[in-house]
Amino acid sequence: MSRRPRASGYFRTDYGEDLTLLPTRLARFAVLGALVILLALPLLASPFLIDLAAQVFLAVIGALALMLLTGYAGQVSLGHAGLLAAGAFTVGILFKELKAPVFVTLPAAAAVGALLGVVFGLPSLRVRGLYLAVSTLALNFLVAYLGGEYETRRGFSTGIVVDPPSLAGKAVTDARAWYVILLAAAVATLLLCANLLRARSGRAWAAIRANETVAQTLGIGVASYKLLAFVISSALTAVAGGLFAYYRGFVSVEAFSLFLSIQYVAMIIIGGMGSLAGAILGALFVTLFPYAIEASLAALVSPTAYAGLLFAVNAAAFGAVMILFLLLEPQGLIGLWRRLQSYFLLWPFRHRPVGGARR
Amino acid sequence: MFPRLQGAAIAALLLAAPAAAEDAYTIGLTGALTGPPASTYAPAADALRLYIDRLNAAGGIAGKKINLILQDDAAEPGKATANAKKLLTQDNVLMLLNASLSSTFAPVVAEAKRAGVPVLFASSVCPKEVYPPADPLQFCTTAFASTYDSRATLAFIKDTAKQPVKIGFSAMAIPLSRAEMDFAEQQAPALGMTVVDKEVIPPPTPDYTPFATKLKDAGANWVFSWAPWVTQVRTLEALRRLDWKGDYIAWAHIEAEGELARLRDGAFYVVGANALFQEQLPIHKEIAEAAKSAKVTYPVEQLTEGWIAGMVVEAALKATGWPATPEKLAAAMSTLKVDTKGLRGGPIEWTKDNHFRTRQYYRVYRWDSGKSAIQLVKDWTAFDVK
Amino acid sequence: MQLAVNMLVLTAIYALIACGYVLIYRVSRVLNLAHGELLMLSAYLLLWTASLFAGHPVLAIAAALGLSLLVGAMVYLFLLRKLTGEMALAAVLTTVALGVLLRGVTVIVWSAQQQYPAVPLGLSNWAFALPGGARISLWAALLVATTLAVYASLFAFLRLGRWGMRMRAAGQNPLLAAQRGINLHAIYALAWSLSTFTGALAGVLMALDSGLGQTMAIVGLKAFPAALVGGLDSLAGALLGSLIVASAEVTLIHYVDPLLSEVIPFLVLIVVLMLRPWGLLGTREELDRV
Repeated sequence: MSRRPRASGYFRTDYGEDLTLLPTRLARFAVLGALVILLALPLLASPFLIDLAAQVFLAVIGALALMLLTGYAGQVSLGHAGLLAAGAFTVGILFKELKAPVFVTLPAAAAVGALLGVVFGLPSLRVRGLYLAVSTLALNFLVAYLGGEYETRRGFSTGIVVDPPSLAGKAVTDARAWYVILLAAAVATLLLCANLLRARSGRAWAAIRANETVAQTLGIGVASYKLLAFVISSALTAVAGGLFAYYRGFVSVEAFSLFLSIQYVAMIIIGGMGSLAGAILGALFVTLFPYAIEASLAALVSPTAYAGLLFAVNAAAFGAVMILFLLLEPQGLIGLWRRLQSYFLLWPFRHRPVGGARR
Repeated sequence: MFPRLQGAAIAALLLAAPAAAEDAYTIGLTGALTGPPASTYAPAADALRLYIDRLNAAGGIAGKKINLILQDDAAEPGKATANAKKLLTQDNVLMLLNASLSSTFAPVVAEAKRAGVPVLFASSVCPKEVYPPADPLQFCTTAFASTYDSRATLAFIKDTAKQPVKIGFSAMAIPLSRAEMDFAEQQAPALGMTVVDKEVIPPPTPDYTPFATKLKDAGANWVFSWAPWVTQVRTLEALRRLDWKGDYIAWAHIEAEGELARLRDGAFYVVGANALFQEQLPIHKEIAEAAKSAKVTYPVEQLTEGWIAGMVVEAALKATGWPATPEKLAAAMSTLKVDTKGLRGGPIEWTKDNHFRTRQYYRVYRWDSGKSAIQLVKDWTAFDVK
Repeated sequence: MQLAVNMLVLTAIYALIACGYVLIYRVSRVLNLAHGELLMLSAYLLLWTASLFAGHPVLAIAAALGLSLLVGAMVYLFLLRKLTGEMALAAVLTTVALGVLLRGVTVIVWSAQQQYPAVPLGLSNWAFALPGGARISLWAALLVATTLAVYASLFAFLRLGRWGMRMRAAGQNPLLAAQRGINLHAIYALAWSLSTFTGALAGVLMALDSGLGQTMAIVGLKAFPAALVGGLDSLAGALLGSLIVASAEVTLIHYVDPLLSEVIPFLVLIVVLMLRPWGLLGTREELDRV
């Protein structure tokens, strides 16, 4: 991953410094500041906001996983909701049938996710692009069918209730505790993805995404790296689904629809493909979007008039925003951010000089 | 950038302390006001709002108004939980109402339990926790009830059938409908009926004919369907297109009254716990007038569930007195008896152990082609809820 | 015999929807995942024209179909044309977003309740008997006839008509076609119009037969595997694929488990993608172009 130098005076003298995640003092301060704010938030904000933030963190995990698969490895996947459902149901089933504790169910969810990743990654070895996307669609329907069958046959027609997980003997029920746990999970996922991308796997994926044939001739094991992308992404997503099950205390098949898959794809498009920060921004945007719509409608129209239309307006606005991003800013929010950055960095010039300083 | 600005704006809105309505009873509802199942729940929420507005206009309860907060969850458990959290922690509601799909129940109930606030299920299916022995914080006014509906329907079929009954079942591929049809399938043989077929139909089916073909080929002369209205009515239409001449009975959802007139099928029975509007009882006229003056967009016959919920809310808050706390309200609700003025077969009576009702009454209607009107086939039949 | 009739009706439904997918893909290599929502929109437009032309059902239906032609062309001209030159995936995701948008819009304008366009049009649906003891409803029979007519005319148009030949040329090699003087944008707009038109036919007939609701869009999605199995750029393949998927579905409903009917089209899809990704009658090199 090329990192543009943001300031002068940082001379890299070994490979470690070249690969480091936070190269400049500004970067380190920014991350520290962000962490401080994020950790201070639960002490200041209302419970509603804390819940919202927790939802964002859950979405971030799924978005990062999808970004890894689609944005970096270039394998399109429309079956994300199926993987979330698989993780959630694994947790639910293990809890209900075996009363398994959290440190058994979450790894089991990861294993199930990895298995599904292998199964649905196999088509990627034969087909690409559109056809691959279509084969992943089937993942949604398959998991929905299996989940519905389990719910009905075992008599949990209204869904599976999952008790809060107990860490060190105490059940985790406090909203703030969940906030910290999910924040930790999101940060861990971010670090995992960033490290994968800095390592050989990241370079292999970039090569495969650029041109598969050339990558093959260079000796990169295309098949194994594609499958690796699927497996890791699916395992992460399944763990996110498992955390979702514990957080909500509840698993039911209706929560994982095709629309959820579309939302995750929207997260990485709106955020900007090929950028982890984009995944985070996209997750933030898509999660907060319905609340923003609700707030703006409340400001414009009387509450009783809009209450019946809220969902439809949400869907319509969501589709419209997605179309706008695809048409006008295919690089997403990160693209907007970079354009803004370039504007200020290059000012008073408008464009980068040809050749020369461009990296 | 843009999303961060938005986030900041929302944060500002939410961090601001909510204005406390001190001189009013505050109750909150989370419901599927929009989204695919909205056509079932949104009219009920609207009717409840209508009732409360009317009550407030007439002075409220002993001079205190009722502050009803409606939140939409679009039948998504995630949103329902967020709504519940907001209503409980920010608005400090005395009672939480749920008018949404059963998948939203567990998280909403968990939140309410933590806050010690009673939950009233109005127009959403009654969970088993309201049947004896009842959970102290869960109550239900909804008309339809799993297992009791099947019992009543099968009893009706047995009484009405003129020949030995070969019964078929039609369910939608959602866990609730399937569980109910499974239960009915178990109960039917004990009543001397032969179960010939059970169809489980996925929601987005373009053509119901294959399923109807199976029912017809199996030789069913009665078909019972307990599912969302769409499944019930399309199975019937497909069967009739196949020239099936048997009798069909289904649950009377809120669309039933309007649809009976459209279908004009003399062998189509609907069983329900609410009196249909064509009875033109005084209470029906009252509801119609109120709906007209408030310019409610839903057809008037769909407002019964919400109106009944309003009656129960009024009675419960009256019994609680002032100042009201969730504990006093839950205690008051545990010994409540509300006269439904003819909308149901009898009063809604709650006891410490039974938060559903002590007796569930059913009526059966069908379309009378001779008179071109809806005909009452069987008047109120009571089932004791144990 | 009834089983065969049911298979025929379901095949006709899927085939009529599938030819919409094939038309667009063959001509412009774009996968239109909003097809289900577009045909649902056309059926809702029928509701509107029914209220405009109350009492003249033929006029109302014709108006709805005409509007659908317009909608298809507009979708191309105002949306997809802007994406010329971007990767195919962007176009697909745009259609997905369009689908979401349309779902919201239809609910805002017409509410989420079940609608029955046959009622304001004053049309009734009766069933008649066929030899062998089977029965079929009027609209289902019309649907089968329409599907046959549509396929016949599409075959004739693409093979013999001038614009049909241009469409085939644009599908085979856009660059050469453009250099030959064929207006690619016009061809693509025409393809979108025709696709939406055939979808509208399916939507209108289904709505008149059994009612209109938000689930119609998902039916559109269920027809997609039928198109894929036959080959996304082959009309004959769409017909064959629909036959296979519909037969499998009806047989499974009858003899095994009705719930499988939801999952089966997609399982068939996966199997075909693994074994023969370009479909049964599709052209082989389509894959590597992606």
